[in-house]
Amino acid sequence: MTFNNIRFSFILVLITLFYVSGCTKDGESVSKSYQGQGGSTARFTLNGDYLYTVDARKLSTYLISDPVNPKPVHTQDVGFEIETIFPFGNKLFIGSTSVIHIFNIDNPAKPEKLSTAISPTVMRRCDPVVAKDTVAFATLRTSDACGDIQSILAVYDIKDILKPVQKASVRLNAPRGLGYADTILYVCDGPGLEIFSIKNAYKPRFLNELRDGDYYDVIPYGNLLFAWTKTGAVIYDITKPAEPKKLSMIQ
Amino acid sequence: MQKFLLLLALVICIAGCDPRTDDLPQPAQSAYVPVYYKSENIGVTKFIAARPMQRAGKQYVIGGLLLQNEINEGIHIIDVTNPSSPKKLGFLEIPLCTEMAVKQGFLYTNNYDDLLVFDLRGPGEPKLLKRIENVFPPANQEYPPFFNVAFECPDPAKGVVVDWELKSNITTKCRR
Repeated sequence: MTFNNIRFSFILVLITLFYVSGCTKDGESVSKSYQGQGGSTARFTLNGDYLYTVDARKLSTYLISDPVNPKPVHTQDVGFEIETIFPFGNKLFIGSTSVIHIFNIDNPAKPEKLSTAISPTVMRRCDPVVAKDTVAFATLRTSDACGDIQSILAVYDIKDILKPVQKASVRLNAPRGLGYADTILYVCDGPGLEIFSIKNAYKPRFLNELRDGDYYDVIPYGNLLFAWTKTGAVIYDITKPAEPKKLSMIQ
Repeated sequence: MQKFLLLLALVICIAGCDPRTDDLPQPAQSAYVPVYYKSENIGVTKFIAARPMQRAGKQYVIGGLLLQNEINEGIHIIDVTNPSSPKKLGFLEIPLCTEMAVKQGFLYTNNYDDLLVFDLRGPGEPKLLKRIENVFPPANQEYPPFFNVAFECPDPAKGVVVDWELKSNITTKCRR
């Protein structure tokens, strides 16, 4: 064994630090933004004591209150060509190649189907989405399996989650994931990371652009912003959310 | 009458199933070609020394730990307690791994179509505690995720289709 045990017991310390500080709920860090590009979609998601997985046709629910022994508690048919799953408030969105199925998880052990689909032209499985209160931000992209006419940042009123209403759109180049901290929205757009003020959510205001890689997605995490780029990771200090400061790059 | 219907059905079936266009020469064109993952050792995971990132995948952040997926290869485990100077602790090799989530120090991830649970709490390297097989039946193996395209018909004998590459000058009869 060539590995240093001391080094690895450190992982425990790192995770423990997190529990002591307890500033974020487990899993929240990745539930902010979703990549739905063909071939690399999320096949499972955690929510509290439950793990949800999708295969081509079914949604399966596992109880993980004993984290080592996921226990299957429920399986249901969803539809065809299921590709991706993500939590959205107290709902699960399950995307197929053509529509999104919405499940209520008020009873997390037994997701209940609320709606067969939203119009795939409104919020589709290809689109990274983040929700802030009753507003959802999504990027629609021209050059993937969903193929829009114009790449945009779209802002939706989601007071009625089953009927999102588009309130604004901003032209973009080739957008991917997005995330927000406070009233600042970060949008991966081709070679740049665009920074918008969303103080007025329905009127996003462009502030600045960073160019430290080919950005795919971002995870705002406390005072840090983790960016996933084509070649690795970039970490920013976002103590001032509108002015990210590059701390390091990992390759 | 019944015999006639049966015969009619048979004739329709034979006519419908006749791949007569297959006999015609196909023009070379741009087409999606399957990228295969060779299936030996597909279920073997191991923890190795830190390595460079090549095709970065999804990220997962928890406390002072950054997990960075290497698409279809595994997970970089990175200490980011000092975010100005992150340290790679090692690389968890997992064939066809693309997904990650952590709960109470346990890592949930996928090894192709199996769900794995690793113990990240140490001491020592991450330990594989549980494998649940066939939780994620393979993503579509028959055709690429695009419409109105030509593609090279996949050959299951060559392995698992993990991606599709657009190439020019391909002769193929598969379309969708």
